[in-house]
Amino acid sequence: MEAIFDLRNVSYSYVGKIDALKDITLEIDRGELVSIIGSNGSGKSTLLAILNGLIYTTSGEFYAFGNQITEDAFDAIKDNEFRTFFRTKVGFVFQNSDVQLFSPTVFEEIAFGPLQLNVTPEEVKTRVEDVLDMMDITKLRDRSPHTLSGGEKKKVCIATVLVNNPDVLLLDEPSAGLDPRTQLWLVELLQELGQGGKTVITATHDLEIIDQISKRAIVMGEDHAIKEDGDADKVLNDYELLLGANLIHEHTHVHGKVVHEHLHEHVEGHIHKHET
Amino acid sequence: MKEVDIGIGPCKCSAVHRGKKSFIGKTIDGIIFFMQDAFVTESFSRRRGLLQSLDPRAKLISILALIVATSTVGNLRILVFAYLFFLLVAFLSKIEIGFFIKRVWLFIPIFSGFLVLPLVFNVFFPGDPLIQLIHLGPGAHLGPIPLPESIYITKQGVNAATIFMMRVATCVSAIVLLFLTTPQQMLFKSLRSVGIPKLYVLTLSMAYRYIFVLTELVSEMYVAKKARTIKARGMFDEQKWVGGRIGYTLIRSLDMSEKVHMAMMSRGYNGEVRIIQEFKMRNRDYVAGAIAISMSVVLVLISQNIIRV
Repeated sequence: MEAIFDLRNVSYSYVGKIDALKDITLEIDRGELVSIIGSNGSGKSTLLAILNGLIYTTSGEFYAFGNQITEDAFDAIKDNEFRTFFRTKVGFVFQNSDVQLFSPTVFEEIAFGPLQLNVTPEEVKTRVEDVLDMMDITKLRDRSPHTLSGGEKKKVCIATVLVNNPDVLLLDEPSAGLDPRTQLWLVELLQELGQGGKTVITATHDLEIIDQISKRAIVMGEDHAIKEDGDADKVLNDYELLLGANLIHEHTHVHGKVVHEHLHEHVEGHIHKHET
Repeated sequence: MKEVDIGIGPCKCSAVHRGKKSFIGKTIDGIIFFMQDAFVTESFSRRRGLLQSLDPRAKLISILALIVATSTVGNLRILVFAYLFFLLVAFLSKIEIGFFIKRVWLFIPIFSGFLVLPLVFNVFFPGDPLIQLIHLGPGAHLGPIPLPESIYITKQGVNAATIFMMRVATCVSAIVLLFLTTPQQMLFKSLRSVGIPKLYVLTLSMAYRYIFVLTELVSEMYVAKKARTIKARGMFDEQKWVGGRIGYTLIRSLDMSEKVHMAMMSRGYNGEVRIIQEFKMRNRDYVAGAIAISMSVVLVLISQNIIRV
């Protein structure tokens, strides 16, 4: 399989002092469905920002589509063919929808991406109408983003990315704050995209959706390093690992793929079985 | 465990308390008013009226031309005519005339009224007496400044002040009409037609967009404060809290601006913005523009005494 992303001993620290990522080495292949899981502040969002070429490694090397991504090569103001290629191929859905919805109307918001990537206005209009139709949000076309509900905002955010038909989707906590119905819609969409051959990388701490949207799980520890990188099912069944990564509480129970938690008396100890 | 008596039981206190609203209440009211006002303004722009049916660019250029022309007119009758013309346009644009007049005249006494107030007294500008206010007698003075024998309102002063006020009212009416009948974002985009660079247009529309996000943030902070306020604290403590919140809002807005920039870069923005032009000029836009510009030219010709009325 062809590696799309290749990180070699990547570290990142904010203002050179606060470590956000430590010595990350991983490869992500085309068509993979990957979850990056970890507790708050473990570095998931930073890792996604590096994968999207929005910030640059403090040390180590990051290759995307076989090209090394460095600030000098990637961040120049002048036109850069590889950057245009990269931005077309990789889409990023931010955790906070409001930062991604900066245009006056939903139509213009979705049109923003392809316009910056030199797609002709006629083609942009066609693509936007298509994606509005595909996401079933045509009725939101002329609405202003501040009038949308949380779920509608998330749908528009995903539409702004899908309009470029990217090969790789990066999603930062996509299910956060969504109602159960929209969460299910999101899971189904990500499954469809995965079946369509897209590479989907999701940063989340929502354990309920991991095995539905990914086959591989990368667990980030609180020390900002990779704690585990393997099969999503195995990771979800590794109680000690999840506990060690501070992803679950002692009172969380894992029954096969079902993870749940409840209050109980400590008569049987933390690890016990239920009569089902 | 130590038991704490929290006094569960019916409260004997009165739920009805009338008093002055705290600054928290006033701020929340202000925020709600801002949101409602933005909503009402937007609702006018969606009505099917005369100005709403025009292309924003044609409307912007027409109204700017009329404002420039009006500001050159010194004849009160012509100004009254221009004002009545804007009232008619407001009526045809399905804006309630009472609301429109109130909105315009609310600002005029504040901004221009005080400005022209000295003009009407003979203390500053001599003129023919209209109403005598005080008779001071000969040789009156205020410190080193000599005062006239009587202080009165002059005919010339009242005339000049009326013309000035009428001119301001007419120009403000035109601008209010433009704002009420055009969605804010369309208005910003139409600025491109008068040569404003697109980066400024984008910045303006983004600033408008994020006013709502930050207003919501501020509103949440005040509501949270209100929910936890049991008794009023001293003025100094409250000011300290407000200061802290202002700082926090600034930090949040800076953080947000950084993330918005990232979101833009992520979708291909690299300093040179490309936006889509959705406007389409139709015959009625050309006709409206031609009428407005012709009217502006006539007003300028009248003001220069080339056409006499």
